[in-house]
Amino acid sequence: MYALADCNNFFASCERVFRPDLNGKPVIVLSNNDGCAVARSNEAKALGIKMGDPYFKIRDIIDRNHVAVFSSNFALYGDMSRRVQEVLRTFAPSVEQYSIDESFLDLGGMEGIDFKAYAERISRQCWKSTSIPVSVGIAPTKTLAKIASKLCKKYPRLNGGCYMHRPQDIEKVLRSFPVADVWGIGRRSAKKLDQMGIRTAWDYVSIPETSVRKLFAMPGFRTWKELKGIPSIEFEDMIEPRQSICVSRSFAHEITSLPELAEQVANFAEGTVVKLRGQGSLAQELVVFAMTNRFKEGAPQASGGICVPLADATAEHRTIISAAVDATRRLYRQGLGYKKAGVVITRLVQADGHTYSLFEDKDAAEREARLSEAIDSINRSFGRGSILLGLQGDGHIRMSREHQSPHYTTLWEDIPGVKVK
Amino acid sequence: MQPHPVTDAESLEFSFMGEVKAGFPSPAEDVRERLDLTHLLVRHSASTFFFRIDGVSMVDADMDEGDIIIVDRAIEPYNGCKAVCFIDGEYTVKRVEIGPAGAVLLPCNEKNTRYRPIPVGPDDDFLVWGVVTFIIKKA
Repeated sequence: MYALADCNNFFASCERVFRPDLNGKPVIVLSNNDGCAVARSNEAKALGIKMGDPYFKIRDIIDRNHVAVFSSNFALYGDMSRRVQEVLRTFAPSVEQYSIDESFLDLGGMEGIDFKAYAERISRQCWKSTSIPVSVGIAPTKTLAKIASKLCKKYPRLNGGCYMHRPQDIEKVLRSFPVADVWGIGRRSAKKLDQMGIRTAWDYVSIPETSVRKLFAMPGFRTWKELKGIPSIEFEDMIEPRQSICVSRSFAHEITSLPELAEQVANFAEGTVVKLRGQGSLAQELVVFAMTNRFKEGAPQASGGICVPLADATAEHRTIISAAVDATRRLYRQGLGYKKAGVVITRLVQADGHTYSLFEDKDAAEREARLSEAIDSINRSFGRGSILLGLQGDGHIRMSREHQSPHYTTLWEDIPGVKVK
Repeated sequence: MQPHPVTDAESLEFSFMGEVKAGFPSPAEDVRERLDLTHLLVRHSASTFFFRIDGVSMVDADMDEGDIIIVDRAIEPYNGCKAVCFIDGEYTVKRVEIGPAGAVLLPCNEKNTRYRPIPVGPDDDFLVWGVVTFIIKKA
């Protein structure tokens, strides 16, 4: 058996932890730079606010309904996620954190216990300890557990815990579950399935095995088996290094000059290097992209990226940052107002076990490696940003975070105050 | 952990670690443990939060402005405990009395009559936010 524990409207719920007055009231959280809605409480969803709605487009609804608006506070969300994880670890020997707000629990070997009661207990304990509402679905496969957890959100009478295991129950649920919402069914497959007239998860499992294999290859077949109750997706309590790393942001104000844009991109590139070095990988390719404000009518629009192969797989600050700045120079066009940009590094390989190319200048490579290690160690001791490459500027373009809540749990200056009465 | 064979090179390195002194080795050299206040003050790290006492208290309590209190949400409120409660849009420390009729929030000082007892109903699960476990004071 597997459990999926999914935090309900996670960022919005985090904002309520220290603001119980917001329980039952509409709450939304905005993306970096207060761009668009990235989390909504149930009350905000009921008002028609959609995921990804740009802030300025929903201002009216917000004002009329007194929606509480927050800028992203990742220090708070990260700490609350850690707390939920800790609670979950007391319920299963191995826990796989799938995302900041979702974790799988391997309940293998616990057969015989009352799983329905167990699911409710996990949910109750998460709420009690952290005041984050969590939906827990338990089922024979990870894919079915995900569906079970979604049922908790739909039916409050389940008390946050759903156990789905009898074939007739699974069939009943799959018959009304949209196939496009099944974990592992991508947007492209969903479109293809729709054209084939396959709408529900049950329609999908009714496709003969040979056709599934032919039409949707291995991943589609795995999902098909999982829906049939055959565990086919491995449990990963060891985190795999990521295959690509992206750092991007929208700007508070449009950027029109090349130096300004290049400085931003240099900082994004530095962000990718930090993550790259953190997981011990080397990058072989880099993409810089930038786009204008597509909501600004009448303004000239552009959106595009430039892909740069890196001569040798690298994790060095200077190489990656200057490649990103060079790409920006090629990408930049005068007369445009850039609203968003980013850097993606791809084709990552593990640093140990990498074979260096024949043409590489070994001495130069070693000098670069030493420089990068020195930068790492200074930033570790004095905080990130203590040492910057000239290209990064001094970061005078700050993100807008007008509605950010205090760092209640991660900064002593920000811990909540309480009166004695 | 796997047993690690000690090679000649390593044992050589080991003998040069630290200052080479003749005579009796310091008995403290291998002691690496030290007391960690977190172990004492935080029993459940998932459910423990910190609050700062705000404003000069009108009541005679053992908490003063600027003190930091440690609050554990996982502890069930017990009779006589102090708890951080959320009342009228602000956090307040109250004393919890559990009687036959259920829980009641009382002022921190028994003799204080300025604040009336507040009964905790079944739907008020956010009223009691967490139980106070420690008070950190500056001497």
